[in-house]
Amino acid sequence: MREADAIHPGPALTAARSLSDYFPSLKGTPGDTPVYVYAGATEGGNVLIIGGTHPNEPAGFVTSVMLIENIRAVRGKIVIVPQANASGFTHSDPQEGSPQRFPIATAAGQRWFRLGSRVTNPIHQWPDPTIYVNPTGQTLAGIEARNLNRAYPGKAGGNLTEKVAFGIMELIKKERIDLGIDLHESAPEYPVINAIVFHENSADLAATAQMELQAEGFEFRLEASPPNLRGLSHREWGDVAGIRAILMETPNASHGRLKGKPSVELIIDGKDKFYEKAARLGRLFVPFGPDGIPLKNRVARHLAGLKAVLSGLKELDPGKAVEVEDLPPADRVRVEGIGAFLR
Amino acid sequence: MDMHRPAEIILTILFFGLIAGSYLAAQTPPPPVFEQPLLVTSAGQSSGDAQIALQLAKRAALAATLSKTGTGKDLENQKTLVLVLGASMKGLGSAGLDTNKEKERIRELVAEAKKKNIPILAMHLGGGQRRGELTDEIINEFLPAAKMAIILKSGNQDGLFTKICKAKDIPLIEVDKSLDAVEPLKKIFKR
Repeated sequence: MREADAIHPGPALTAARSLSDYFPSLKGTPGDTPVYVYAGATEGGNVLIIGGTHPNEPAGFVTSVMLIENIRAVRGKIVIVPQANASGFTHSDPQEGSPQRFPIATAAGQRWFRLGSRVTNPIHQWPDPTIYVNPTGQTLAGIEARNLNRAYPGKAGGNLTEKVAFGIMELIKKERIDLGIDLHESAPEYPVINAIVFHENSADLAATAQMELQAEGFEFRLEASPPNLRGLSHREWGDVAGIRAILMETPNASHGRLKGKPSVELIIDGKDKFYEKAARLGRLFVPFGPDGIPLKNRVARHLAGLKAVLSGLKELDPGKAVEVEDLPPADRVRVEGIGAFLR
Repeated sequence: MDMHRPAEIILTILFFGLIAGSYLAAQTPPPPVFEQPLLVTSAGQSSGDAQIALQLAKRAALAATLSKTGTGKDLENQKTLVLVLGASMKGLGSAGLDTNKEKERIRELVAEAKKKNIPILAMHLGGGQRRGELTDEIINEFLPAAKMAIILKSGNQDGLFTKICKAKDIPLIEVDKSLDAVEPLKKIFKR
């Protein structure tokens, strides 16, 4: 887990940066992380896509890598942070027995991706407080002090996780981001799943995207970001930075509580007999059959969701439209697999 | 030459024509019965579904306003009330409402609509994912107050909407996808 994941940007990459370029205090720390910029020749909006906020939710990370290795911006700008909590990728959750990495076969050979922890590595940020008071003043359980998605809008002089959150807010400001999209996964027993969570300033965008997705055969729930649940990307990006904010969730059995043996197969194939039984008992919020919910389908959902959100942005706010080419098509990813779209 | 063949052909055409006619009659919305402007609110705080209803209304070029926690007072100057049926625990918590308070709000709204002679259009746009004990309570209590209902087919797999609408003589329009509701909306509202 000490070896960084290899990411091979496509030829249309405009600039490769680091989060510390936006917030220098992160330079040389385990919180610094790569940032990839794709700018089109035509003026448009600016969109931020974040993966790896929670490094134990691989679909968000892998989707971001696929974008980095494939897309070409035609209009506007796309900024991608594939491993938002870089420290979280350097360890796994204690006593979970999770694999440290998983393979994906590509035409160029096998690629490995790390499966990390939901939170910052305790070696990089310790100790946890008994009660964590996040930058908005909300009190949370102590471990949440290391959860990037409770740390927004961050603090320049805060703990490492808060500094990373602050760095992302600086990036939003300096890149003049109009829309932020945070890619996540959730356990099949959690109600906010197969969902688009939206800040109230993005309700029209979320609804427009959901209708397009439904027309293409993808069912997504719409969930409004609760105004009193503070420190999350879909709340603070909207409230503090004033940008449109969307978070997407796909169903991941490998980090749920009902799973059987944690394994590479569970991450990739997404099959689990205990989840099957839970589905039969009506305890899940997504269908879960013998075929499971494989990573390629979860990544395909994120890709379809991104396409629909970008299309919705163009429809609702044409001046802020962002157009990309070579976005891996969701239907092909489901059939050909993730490796077919990796370098 | 087989003398029966022309008769068989005519009968076949008539038979399939009848079936097609019945199907079209079931899918064709009734003439315009609602007027603009319309107030959209969720019954159950599924705010995402209410937002979809608002976007559908906009696509149908209708003058619509969304109110998350609308009351009878918000019906001033409105000519149609759109109740988007569906409970969301997250939405209820976010709005600071419990189930009873939300039902009280909708009861008051429906009573005021009746008093003001404002017809109610019920919608259910969450499909099978937006069904469950609480949503079903809301459907059972408030769908009978509607003058018409537009729903996603996937939310009616057990026939609950069909049963209530049949019993209360409420025209029911079922669509496969939310976007398919735009055309019926255009037709049931007066211009």
